[in-house]
Amino acid sequence: MNDCSNADIRDRLPDLLHEHLDAASRAMVVAHVAACIDCRDELELLRSVHKTLSARTPRVDIAYVVNALPKPPARRTQVQLSARRRWSDWRIAAGVTVLIAGGSSLVISRRAPSAVDTRPPIVDTAGARLTSSPSVTTAEIPAPTASTPAPSTVTPSVATTVATNDVADSGGDEGSDGRFAGLNNAQMQTLLKEIDQLKPVPVTEPEPVTIRVDLKPSGPQGVR
Amino acid sequence: MTDAGGEGSNDLELIARWKNGDEKAATELVQRHAAALARFAVSSGERSEVDELVQDTFVRAFASIDSFRGESSFRTWLFTIERRLLIDRRRSEKRRRDRTEIQEDDAATEYDALDTVVADETQQRLQRAVERLSPTQREVFALRVGEGLSYKEIADAVGTTEGAARVHYHNAMRAVKEFLDE
Repeated sequence: MNDCSNADIRDRLPDLLHEHLDAASRAMVVAHVAACIDCRDELELLRSVHKTLSARTPRVDIAYVVNALPKPPARRTQVQLSARRRWSDWRIAAGVTVLIAGGSSLVISRRAPSAVDTRPPIVDTAGARLTSSPSVTTAEIPAPTASTPAPSTVTPSVATTVATNDVADSGGDEGSDGRFAGLNNAQMQTLLKEIDQLKPVPVTEPEPVTIRVDLKPSGPQGVR
Repeated sequence: MTDAGGEGSNDLELIARWKNGDEKAATELVQRHAAALARFAVSSGERSEVDELVQDTFVRAFASIDSFRGESSFRTWLFTIERRLLIDRRRSEKRRRDRTEIQEDDAATEYDALDTVVADETQQRLQRAVERLSPTQREVFALRVGEGLSYKEIADAVGTTEGAARVHYHNAMRAVKEFLDE
């Protein structure tokens, strides 16, 4: 069996076999094959090979193949969406419950503040003593750590020290309830300055320190 | 050239329908391409479990249908997947053979049993001629003659260039002719 010298036509013979040529190309190839015995032989060989390949191929069980296919993505998405919606419903319900519970407890705590904070108003007492009779007041403040040494002198020590301690305790709400009503402007300025100079609260739990303060109006004698 | 004689656009429509939840579209696609995949498998030397191979090919194709961008025809894409599966299968089979030696008699029995399917003597000779080709030549020859794929499509499926596919085809054709002339 010989090869035709026209490689272009030989290249197209399989396309002719499978009817993949457009009309013009098909007409040209058919005309060549009609006149060329080598191409006729080759086309016949191609037909035989195609027939042989088809004959050897077992029939595929379509149902067997289809049964193993994954579900279409649209259907999968619907299933996932419904599952997600159920999960969202649970989350919404839980969130609403938390909000209701939190809101209720907040309202209750606002209505009964004394139940939360039962400590005596230290500053009021100190302020009253400051104006009436000098005496010694004791207050517990956190001990300074090694990195935050205590100031050597505190002026004016009584009100500032006690008030400072109270500021930390009362969470900055002292101005609204008149605890510092007894302080004049200068004392308030000094107090604010000292607050600015305060070191951060130590990380570790401090040991309580007892400070004795002289409340004489002539001036503070320092912290002993 | 599109697969199965200009059915490429229909394939895309069927894929779109399947994506929208139409399972019948998948059945239609399987009906359209299963025989060609089975032919390619047998032509490439696969002799057993062709159904499983075709099934695996479709399962993989549908599982990763989003990666099919329509640059080649759907059938060419399926051939690419099937070819990879064939290569994997041969590798695992080779490993298995390396572990357990197969008796020559068993192989011969399997071969003879398959031969009885092909009754015609000419077909038997053609079958032998194709089986003597190199794996790549056989794949290219099967896709060109058996499926009518263009060289471009063959190159995509086999992972080579168009020119190389053409060379493989003509070398295969020459080898088949020489075998038949002996």
